[in-house]
Amino acid sequence: MIEADGISKRFGEQEVLRDVSFSVGPGDIFGIVGCSGAGKSTLLRCLNGLEAYDGGSVRVMGREVASMTERELRALRREMGMIFQNFNLMERKNVEENIAWPLEVWKTPRNEIVRRVGDLLDLVGLAEKRTEKIRNLSGGQKQRVGIARALALNPKILLCDEATSALDPKTTLSILELLRDINRRFTVTVLLVTHQMEAVKTACHRVLLLDQGRVTGSGRTEDLFLAPPASLKNLVRDEYAVVPTGINIRLMFPREIARESIITGMARELGIDFSVIGGRLERYRDDILGFLIINVRREDFDRVQRYLGEHRLFWEAPDDVA
Amino acid sequence: MWHELAAALQETLYMVTVSTVFSVLSGFALAVVMVLTCARGLRPNAAVYATLDLLVNLLRSFPFIILMIAIIPLTRFVAGTSIGSTASIVPLTIAATPFAARIMEGSLMEVDAGVVEAARSFGARDLRIVFGVMVPEAMPSIVLNIAVVAINLLGCSAMAGAVGGGGLGDLAVKYGYNRFQTDVMAYSVLALVAVVQVIQGVGTAIYRRMR
Repeated sequence: MIEADGISKRFGEQEVLRDVSFSVGPGDIFGIVGCSGAGKSTLLRCLNGLEAYDGGSVRVMGREVASMTERELRALRREMGMIFQNFNLMERKNVEENIAWPLEVWKTPRNEIVRRVGDLLDLVGLAEKRTEKIRNLSGGQKQRVGIARALALNPKILLCDEATSALDPKTTLSILELLRDINRRFTVTVLLVTHQMEAVKTACHRVLLLDQGRVTGSGRTEDLFLAPPASLKNLVRDEYAVVPTGINIRLMFPREIARESIITGMARELGIDFSVIGGRLERYRDDILGFLIINVRREDFDRVQRYLGEHRLFWEAPDDVA
Repeated sequence: MWHELAAALQETLYMVTVSTVFSVLSGFALAVVMVLTCARGLRPNAAVYATLDLLVNLLRSFPFIILMIAIIPLTRFVAGTSIGSTASIVPLTIAATPFAARIMEGSLMEVDAGVVEAARSFGARDLRIVFGVMVPEAMPSIVLNIAVVAINLLGCSAMAGAVGGGGLGDLAVKYGYNRFQTDVMAYSVLALVAVVQVIQGVGTAIYRRMR
């Protein structure tokens, strides 16, 4: 659906994107993750030509974006809906007028517009707010209008620029749920730019990590969170205290293992003691994955290491000095 | 006296209304071009923007009374005469156009860049964005600014009146000042106060309703 190969982009002296490559398949929910200023939003805008890139290539549905004429670009954007952090709705139009606007721009017949707007209002659950002014809506409702507007032209791709960053956690989940629903029902490919780990875990199949314009990791969401590269750790730093004596080991549980009592088994088999420092089970889309941080004595470390290896556990010793 | 006051008020309203309409229309056109061509506009064009910017500043730096005298030949060419209410509409319009352009440029620039970007993101043309997004979104602010232009023109029209344009300014100077009829001067000023109140009141009311 989208293939980016070595995109680079600079604003004056500042390089905002350096050699960024990735590809997104049809029907994917693809996360672009990084802290603010990492170049995520700029990258997203290179895909629909709102920003030009200086080097590399972006092919959307097989066609190079940079070589498109103005008219072709507009046709491309028709296939790519976009939603925004601040919703970017027209304050002076009401809900249905906002949703209808893209259709009017593309000269859709009046009765067709009415039908389409009605369907979209049902889809995002705002049928009773049809004639409400934008300013009377909550943040979540505004984003629902944004989503309805972005879907008005039946796009094949939906670009989400920090779409849930201005929303509270509960609303964030409901919006992500809606995006997943849309992704499934209409096989719309979704690109989700975010700095919220919750959003990534809840919705994304695959993730691209971006730091200062560079790709610092990419892959399936589960894999990245089970064995996070350094760049991801900076984003999801463990809030657990380091016990100074022994060695901290962070164990990652893929789904199958989570159910087995591997840790108590280890204590029995090896006849050692260790302390549990922290841990968490998290929901990644529909899977439950978890990690546990235990502290083992230095003299037991080798045996523990071997045991974990035998049982094919993902693990790491974050503060290991040895 | 009441008869003269009524006639003067009528002349003033005529000058202000017609010159407001003309200057708002031409100022709006200039503002649209400036917003399109400015550095962060939809069609950046430094040459066009710099030229208009300079022209606007240049015209705005003329004191009205000097401008009015300087363009007498033009006024005569357009209106056939350089005296009277109709003739004074020419310098009034030329003086207020750059002012109107500048403050309406401000109104249009205030429109949230994100809303404009959203319109681009679903493939709207530039002109469609200007007239379908920027102008409607800026409309409340534009309405308030039209009231500012009209009140500004009211002040200028009193000046134009003093040199042969007629209207309340003319009345105040001729009777009130030259003939020491303080009551005429007072009533003329009161009438001007009332007109300002009405213009601003209407502007604010429309603004409130639009928002």
